[in-house]
Amino acid sequence: MSLLEIRGLSVRFGGLTAVSRVDFDVEEGSLVALIGPNGAGKTTAFNVITGVYAPSEGSVRFADREIGGAAPHRISALGIARTFQNIRLFRSLTALENVRAALQGARRSGVLDVLRPARWRARELDAARQAHDLLDALALGAFAAARADSLPYGEQRRLEIARALATHPKLLLLDEPAAGMNPAEKQALRELIRRLRSEHRLTIVLIDHDVSFVMNLSDRVVVLDHGEKIADGPPERVRRDPQVIEAYLGSDAEGAA
Amino acid sequence: MENLLQQLLNGITWGSIYALIALGYTMVYGVLKLINFAHGEVYMMGAMTGYYAAHALGVANAPSLGSLVLVLIVSMAACGLLGALIERVAYRPLRGAGRLAPLITAIGVSLLLQNAGQLVFGADPKFFPSLLRSEEVLRAGSIAISNIQIAVLATALALMAGLQYVVQRTRFGRAMRAVSYDAPAAALMGVPVDRVILGTFVLGSMLAAAAGILVGLSNPKIDPLMGLMPGLKAFVAAVLGGIGSVPGAMVGGLLLGVIETLVTGYLSSTYRDAIAFVILVLILLYRPTGLFGAPQTEKV
Amino acid sequence: MRARPLLGLAALLAFLALLDAAAPRLLNPYYVTILSRIGIAVIAAVSLQLVNGFTGQFSIGHAGFMAIGAYASAALSVFAGAALLEAAAQLVPLPLARFLYFPVALIFGGLVAAVAGIVVAVPALRLRGDYLAIATLGAGEIIRIAILNIDAVGGARGFSLASPAHPAIDLRFEGLGGVLAVALLTIGAIARLVYSGGGLAFRAVREDETAAESIGVATTRVKVEAFLVASFFAGVAGALFAHSEGYIHTNSFGFVRSFELVAFVVLGGLGSLSGAILAAATLTALPELLRGLGEWRMILYSLLLIATMLLRPQGLLGQRELWPISRLARGAK
Repeated sequence: MSLLEIRGLSVRFGGLTAVSRVDFDVEEGSLVALIGPNGAGKTTAFNVITGVYAPSEGSVRFADREIGGAAPHRISALGIARTFQNIRLFRSLTALENVRAALQGARRSGVLDVLRPARWRARELDAARQAHDLLDALALGAFAAARADSLPYGEQRRLEIARALATHPKLLLLDEPAAGMNPAEKQALRELIRRLRSEHRLTIVLIDHDVSFVMNLSDRVVVLDHGEKIADGPPERVRRDPQVIEAYLGSDAEGAA
Repeated sequence: MENLLQQLLNGITWGSIYALIALGYTMVYGVLKLINFAHGEVYMMGAMTGYYAAHALGVANAPSLGSLVLVLIVSMAACGLLGALIERVAYRPLRGAGRLAPLITAIGVSLLLQNAGQLVFGADPKFFPSLLRSEEVLRAGSIAISNIQIAVLATALALMAGLQYVVQRTRFGRAMRAVSYDAPAAALMGVPVDRVILGTFVLGSMLAAAAGILVGLSNPKIDPLMGLMPGLKAFVAAVLGGIGSVPGAMVGGLLLGVIETLVTGYLSSTYRDAIAFVILVLILLYRPTGLFGAPQTEKV
Repeated sequence: MRARPLLGLAALLAFLALLDAAAPRLLNPYYVTILSRIGIAVIAAVSLQLVNGFTGQFSIGHAGFMAIGAYASAALSVFAGAALLEAAAQLVPLPLARFLYFPVALIFGGLVAAVAGIVVAVPALRLRGDYLAIATLGAGEIIRIAILNIDAVGGARGFSLASPAHPAIDLRFEGLGGVLAVALLTIGAIARLVYSGGGLAFRAVREDETAAESIGVATTRVKVEAFLVASFFAGVAGALFAHSEGYIHTNSFGFVRSFELVAFVVLGGLGSLSGAILAAATLTALPELLRGLGEWRMILYSLLLIATMLLRPQGLLGQRELWPISRLARGAK
């Protein structure tokens, strides 16, 4: 049983079919890259997995449990976290608060906590410490008290990852984490992803345009084009697949093999 | 049966007033995605300027079709200007400042006009001059139709037809529809978006002013706060029809007028004002995009 | 054991009790009324700030909840208050019974308003932005018109707290200390609620709902909670208003009142409790102190609001807090 199983997934918006009868599996502990030209349906697939959209057809199973159509916050509680193509940080909150918000998740202190100062304070301190640790682990410690939207671009992307990690996920979905980065930053990001994988025992699915970025990072590559899966296998095989080359050459994508 | 027909007639008359006001809301929302809360006050100003114009032009005591037309023209022109002024001063600087700031500003403008109106015009109601001598034109059994009702219906219909023509058959109308559909794209295609928006405000304000005059004709007591309720109700009508849709506003207005009249006629008049809000709540619950609106999905 | 906070609390209580007793003697009753009204405005503004400023939901019908709190608590006092007091007076001395009745009436008003809050919130919060604003406006108006049509609480004549059954037992509270105590409690509760780790959920919803959902925040539930708490305190404010004025009419709870509350939170800064407090206090006191203002009050409000949106949209304090709330806010970072 794979950690994530997608069977016959189709997503339609009105007359537009964004994803069409896609199947793929993600084994626990693996890193799968989801690539394809613009508009291929990659982010839509992520959105279905995380519950933002419901599938029009097909099933999405996580840890042997059907999650298609479930609410996003429930899916998060089950252990799936994500980052967004266009960074969606809580902009006027500090970096620390961004991470802490994810730590709390569904549990919340109530109005009645006004009456239990000692225990409340202990819980707050503990949460703050966890958040600080997580920021430090991603080299963001210096920015803890800074507003999220004041961080440099690369740091913002890392902060989004830190926030996602704060939910202690089993599966992490990264949507174009390297977008807008220069080669040095991409290299650092690659190292980070490798480290996260081993340290947190994460399963990762990664969307990116940059085929070379994902090549020596991923165990498997799934290629979408116009909503359909056109390839699925180890990176070296996929990069030589004529259909894949055709799909990339036929559109304006960077870094085509 | 006859009572029903009479009620329907009254309902359609009121409904056409709501429709005229609702059109202003819906057009502005179409091009700006803004709820122009101040629109009800433009309607009030229409009635007020009509009052003062009638007296100033000396036609207050000379009821005739000509008087009516004259006052209509003056009032519509004045309120068109007012609408343009509001857009220019209060809304345009906030273009692109998100949805909240313009909404708050709109509420502010609305209250400003109400209270300034009370200060300038005096809070006491005035009596709108009878620009048409009230006569019963038709009678079928116990159903009576007065010439004033005919005038209201005819004027409203004429204005709506005129608007339909502008929207569907003129270049300006095309530009307006383009901006409603996709403002950035329209701008890229060379549509003068600022001018289109200004023009939309002017058009909507003119219609509201006309509504004010027509109401003055049929319910002569006017006061600076008269715009609040009809404004809100016309907004409900616009939402009912699908905010952003011109035919929707017309249908919504007529529908609201009829429902309101029927319910007050057959059930109770104390809840008259509440009906519109109940309809609003029901619409928002079950079909927020209204009768003619299109559902929207957010891109993530 | 931490003695200092307990001492501080005791000192505060003593001060409030003193205020309650001394104020009518030291201050012109007109000023006592103004201070009382300020307290009530602050409570209502702070409650609305939770929804509009911290959770980012645009509610513009808040006065409706004040109305419910006012009328519900007034009804309790008029129809059952004397009986309750008499029953309580069997067990404790009458002044103590009166003192204990005060929070009962307030909490009752708050709870009824909170129920209304849920009834409004659950359907309304399916909507976003403009549509939500309109829905709350509609709800506020429906509430007002509905109350206006209930003859048992006076209808169009208004509702007076002078109980016809037992005129000897006065159910009004005029204690300034009481109003202040409730205001401080409200501010404390909401500040604690918002500036805690769990309270980050509110602001997360404000900043980005989609992202909030993705980290496990049940956004709809958070919004409903905000509405619940806010309408509770608005109800408390309404109950305070009813019992200090002694007479209420739905005219005090119409759209104009809702708009005033919106003005308080926007001018003070959406997302700042200190800002809402300052704005509510200043804008409530000003027209009372500057007599000639009268009709110009609303004109001033609207001009101020428009000017603020055009020139300084973040309001007075933006999202910043002043001491002592800022200590709480920083503690959460």
